[in-house]
Amino acid sequence: MIDWAAFVVVFAASLIGACVVVALYALGTRLLAVAGRALFVEPVEFTDAITVLTPERAAKLQRKAEKAQRKNPLSTGQKRLALAAACACFTLCGLAVLYGLYLIIPFFHQ
Amino acid sequence: MDLTLIVVLVIALALFFDFTNGFHDTANAMATPIATGAMRPRVAVALAAVLNLIGAFLSTEVAKTISGGIIREGSGGVQITPVLIFAGLVGAIVWNMVTWLYGLPSSSSHALFGGLIGAAIVGAGLQAIDFIVVLDKVILPALIAPFTAGVVAWGATKLAYWITRRYDGRPDGRGGFRYGQIFSSSLVALSHGTNDAQKTMGVITLTLIAAGIQPLGSGPQIWVVIACAMAIALGTYSGGWRIIRTLGRGLTEIKPAQGFAAETSTAATILASSHLGFALSTTQVASGSVIGSGLGRRGSSVRWGTAGRIGLGWLLTLPSAAVVGAVAGLLANLGPVGVGIDLVLGLAIVVYIFWRASRNRVSSANAVAPLPVQGRSDVAASGKVVKIEKVKPLKRQRPKKESA
Repeated sequence: MIDWAAFVVVFAASLIGACVVVALYALGTRLLAVAGRALFVEPVEFTDAITVLTPERAAKLQRKAEKAQRKNPLSTGQKRLALAAACACFTLCGLAVLYGLYLIIPFFHQ
Repeated sequence: MDLTLIVVLVIALALFFDFTNGFHDTANAMATPIATGAMRPRVAVALAAVLNLIGAFLSTEVAKTISGGIIREGSGGVQITPVLIFAGLVGAIVWNMVTWLYGLPSSSSHALFGGLIGAAIVGAGLQAIDFIVVLDKVILPALIAPFTAGVVAWGATKLAYWITRRYDGRPDGRGGFRYGQIFSSSLVALSHGTNDAQKTMGVITLTLIAAGIQPLGSGPQIWVVIACAMAIALGTYSGGWRIIRTLGRGLTEIKPAQGFAAETSTAATILASSHLGFALSTTQVASGSVIGSGLGRRGSSVRWGTAGRIGLGWLLTLPSAAVVGAVAGLLANLGPVGVGIDLVLGLAIVVYIFWRASRNRVSSANAVAPLPVQGRSDVAASGKVVKIEKVKPLKRQRPKKESA
């Protein structure tokens, strides 16, 4: 019959794995925003009618956001710290991807 | 009947099955990055195709039994013959084409199991099938996989939004999740390549062994590996746009943070399941993740009608492929004429489905374009540029603390 113990292990491992990676990436994104360097990644293609913007409009929004970021209450040191922490988060995410590759490619773990 | 002719036919069918497997499963990896605009549709499927191609070469551990123990093979059971594999493949291909036409993501391995089961029942009766194994390997995982992935993706989405949420109106940088999506979906595509091309290699190798062309217990020959890798990559590149549409915009509206959370959950669940000995279907995991991420974001909704249709497709996959496999098996047992009839009928069905599909073509251009919704303005539905004034972010009203 079905191996429920194996299922529980798989469930816990996937939950922890996914949550840790997503939390790290989200934390990195948040810290970048805190450091005043929030990522602006426009979709390469607009797929939903409501989010369609002209390039001028997108640039205007970006300038507005940058202006909001300049009014950052943090000191330069704090910003640098946030930036460094963000880099650390993304590095850990990169390591998680490498671990994923290690698991996928049988050559490494056999 | 001439043994080499049926072997050639089986190899051709197996490669075509590999092709349908490829375009059926592009959506698992690439539906969400296409839907959020992380990658252009053509670029996304090209990336998936390359990763599938690489993945096919990475792993040479070929499935020893294609039926995974469902069919009682060997002494006292069924002899796996090229004719049986032929009939099973016909069933699997026909069901894959039908689900593609309706844009349903369904497991290609379940279709293959179904086809083989049908062919085996015709050949040797019901006792040829181990129904406990069917329950254990097909039916229960079909319930467990989407549930597991859904819960994981729900948690991951909640977490992603909770961490990046800002109440002060400053940019939250959630668009940055689009970069992450490229990596997470690539992992899913690569792991798909290492798994699914193996099945076809296993089918072809078993056929060659059964026909006595290849020594018993030997691995796949290099031309088999190359042919299977090319077939799955080609299938992936042709992109099952109908299924991408279903997963990308049919279940829920996907934002970058959701897409990243869904893809990461899919990758984590598949890797955990394949390494801790509890095999789950990639397709079912990916669909569950999308639903879970749809439930996880505030203000998003899941279209349960579509989810129900997908679930119905999963339930029907095994029996339907089995019925087609059984009919094909009955005909094939008539001899060369039956095999010929099988081929002509199968070809006719495939051509008919392609013709039906061409009447409302779904391609890279319109796969995730907005649906013309009744009650929404034509401008919004057209996808053309509309100006929307940004509403000033409201200060969050913090609930007043009530005195105890």
